[in-house]
Amino acid sequence: MLRHLFRTVNLFDTAKSALFLCILAGCHGQSGGSGGARGLVYYETYDPRSLDPALSTDVPTGEMITLLFDGLTQFNADGQLLPGLSDRWTADRTGQRYVFHLRSGVTFHDGRPLVAADVKRSLLRVLSPGTRGGRVWPLLPIAGAQDYADGRARDVTGIAVLGDTAIAFTLTEPLAVFPKFLAMPVASVVSPAVPADFGQHPVGTGPWRFVAWEHDDYLRFARNPSYWGGAPLGESLTVRIIPEALTRAAEFLAGRISVVEIPFGETKKWEQEHPDWLKRKPALRPIYVPLNNRRGALRDPRVRQAINHAVNVPEILRTVWNGRGDLAAGSIPPTLGGSDPSRRPYSYDTTEARRLLRVAGYPNGFSLQLWRSGTNVEMGRVAQAIQAQLAAVGIQVEIVSRDASSMREAVRKGDTDMAITDWWADYPDADNFLYPLFHSASVGPGGNYAFYRDRVTDSLIMVARRTVGQSAREALYRRIDTRVYDAAPWLYLWFAVDLWAEHPSIEGWDIPVVFNGQRWTKVRVKAGR
Amino acid sequence: MLKLVASRLLATIPTLFGVLVVAFLLLNVVPGDPVAEMVGERADSATIARLRAELHLDDPLPVQFGHYAWGVLRGDLGHSYITQRPVLGDLAERFPKTLQLAGAAMLLAVTCGITLGVLASLRPGGIIDRLSMLIAYVGVSFPVYWVGLLLILLFAVALQWLPPSGYGGLAFLVLPALTLGTRSIAFLARMTRGAMLEILPADFVRTARAKGLPETRVIGRHALRNALLPIITVIGLDVGNYLTGSILTETIFSWPGVGRYVLLAIQKRDLPAVQGSILFLSVIFVLVNLLTDVLYAKADPRVAYD
Repeated sequence: MLRHLFRTVNLFDTAKSALFLCILAGCHGQSGGSGGARGLVYYETYDPRSLDPALSTDVPTGEMITLLFDGLTQFNADGQLLPGLSDRWTADRTGQRYVFHLRSGVTFHDGRPLVAADVKRSLLRVLSPGTRGGRVWPLLPIAGAQDYADGRARDVTGIAVLGDTAIAFTLTEPLAVFPKFLAMPVASVVSPAVPADFGQHPVGTGPWRFVAWEHDDYLRFARNPSYWGGAPLGESLTVRIIPEALTRAAEFLAGRISVVEIPFGETKKWEQEHPDWLKRKPALRPIYVPLNNRRGALRDPRVRQAINHAVNVPEILRTVWNGRGDLAAGSIPPTLGGSDPSRRPYSYDTTEARRLLRVAGYPNGFSLQLWRSGTNVEMGRVAQAIQAQLAAVGIQVEIVSRDASSMREAVRKGDTDMAITDWWADYPDADNFLYPLFHSASVGPGGNYAFYRDRVTDSLIMVARRTVGQSAREALYRRIDTRVYDAAPWLYLWFAVDLWAEHPSIEGWDIPVVFNGQRWTKVRVKAGR
Repeated sequence: MLKLVASRLLATIPTLFGVLVVAFLLLNVVPGDPVAEMVGERADSATIARLRAELHLDDPLPVQFGHYAWGVLRGDLGHSYITQRPVLGDLAERFPKTLQLAGAAMLLAVTCGITLGVLASLRPGGIIDRLSMLIAYVGVSFPVYWVGLLLILLFAVALQWLPPSGYGGLAFLVLPALTLGTRSIAFLARMTRGAMLEILPADFVRTARAKGLPETRVIGRHALRNALLPIITVIGLDVGNYLTGSILTETIFSWPGVGRYVLLAIQKRDLPAVQGSILFLSVIFVLVNLLTDVLYAKADPRVAYD
């Protein structure tokens, strides 16, 4: 009867065949997503901007650049600084001039040999105003880089090519962490032949060669057999774009992606059902609430300390955040030099909080706004918990939920009292937590969302940057962190602990503490699979 | 009919210009800075200022709009701030995939929805009627998000019959099409049933039966054809919606269509990408509406436009 119905109403025949054609056309498409458990399959949550290192301003782009390119230095999964295209480097006594010697015998994916001039050209390309990359700060310490970026100079005076095998950098002032800056994706070395669509057809020296990119669907890479660090153990690597966390979990369970970050709501389930698949690692990522040090009652450090005492952070961490974090007693992650394990977190003490509010002149409390990003559900729950606990000491909190972009703009302008957010390390060093987050030059867009300004802190941070000796530098960081912590510019919460699962069919993968610390060279599909 | 199509197409020009203006103004009113999204976390004010100047974001709004409109007239939707790729190319790459998903979902909806609706209308209150209305009820009430995840868990994780998500062959299309089509099945079923119940007691249906026509012919040719107008309306609206991207379904099933593209562009305040997408999708919507109008005339000769 159905058939008859359709035959009689011929109108539908046309429509039907058109629709069938649509579907058939699709059937012939390449089945991109079907990486299966045969090869190595990783994922990103959204499409990378580009595969051009000059545009690497977000995590997906940076991770892909790390697979395709090398810098002079690089990080491993634990965040240690290792030689990259430069196998050794020297710094003068002041830490203002560095000479990097290139590894010999390195070739680009197109077969060209790497020479020192390629390094300079790559960095100039990033700095060039026409590139519009937006993330030039790791290169700005080089003398003359700012002038070049502003279009006021035709060359960067601080970069000198020493023959084919070495390159020297002169900095505007001593900077001990400079070799770590060079490990960032933006400082990658690119092939001398850069076509107009380089972002679509990248050529680097990295462990993986580019094969294909279907936007919003997948990227495919093939092993670089002549990689200077040893060819990757896997044949190929597919990176799929999977925006939804629960879909990623399903893809992992179906054996179609190799690793997955455990969705927040499913922590307990995975811990019970698949404990042997799980990997856990403290991340270089504080979750915190910047208290705008320039606004209203929050100008008073006693009020900010009271807020820290009024919130039961351990309980929120355990119940709302599923225990996936380590309590923060400072802004430097415990795994980094310069953190102070002896410092205690602010105690949960509402009596003390009320006392501080009283002496600060707010015996009856006051009102504040707490901003949260609508897309981050977990942080939204933490915000609600904070709201409830601050109400207990008389601070009325109104939660303002906005999309991430609107929130970022408001926070950077200083239009928010409080905002729940996190900070992802670019390079594993205490400097990456003090300079952007607390130096007065970083106020607003630079990362100092608390608008914390303290001349002593500023000068100590600059002294530490110039200090070459590692232990002296770390001692300075401890001192700075303590000083800032006592002033309580944040509501300190915790450092995230990453929780991932590695599929039983693969081995050799490890959670990277920085996004550019995993090159997938040691990962392989287990034998017999 | 040709005259109708031509006049309608002419009428779309002011509509699209209006869309252009509104989209442009709205995007400049909403908070959020495109340059801040370009440079990512930790940026220096000098770089931000320079990029704003290079992208002409500091020009007066009328000047910016003039630039943009001039580009559109020449068929250039501009380059994305974020990816630096041409917006039109990005859309052209994704639209066929959206079309495919929308086509499959509509095929499903039309076959299942109309069949259920017709069967239900034949014996109101009967078992098929109750069952199909239950299905319709469930289909309308359950959120797409939940249905999608449930389908993934059942067919991809538990039974392992189909891939959970991604783009590829027919196997990849089944679950998202089902998810997207469920609402339309439900809607169409209800709509068809309602329209048929109004038509079936009509005199011409009785006449058809009295002539001795077989029941299938009475229902199919005489009754259903006369009940088509409201059904076409629903189909037209749904097709328009599906073609302009189904953000939830595309997200859950990692389907690389225009919906996700627009969503990411909005999140990143990628002004050229958002403006270009809105314009492009408006054109699609207008065309689908036009097609619906033409189909009205074809389904019912009494509908005359001129």
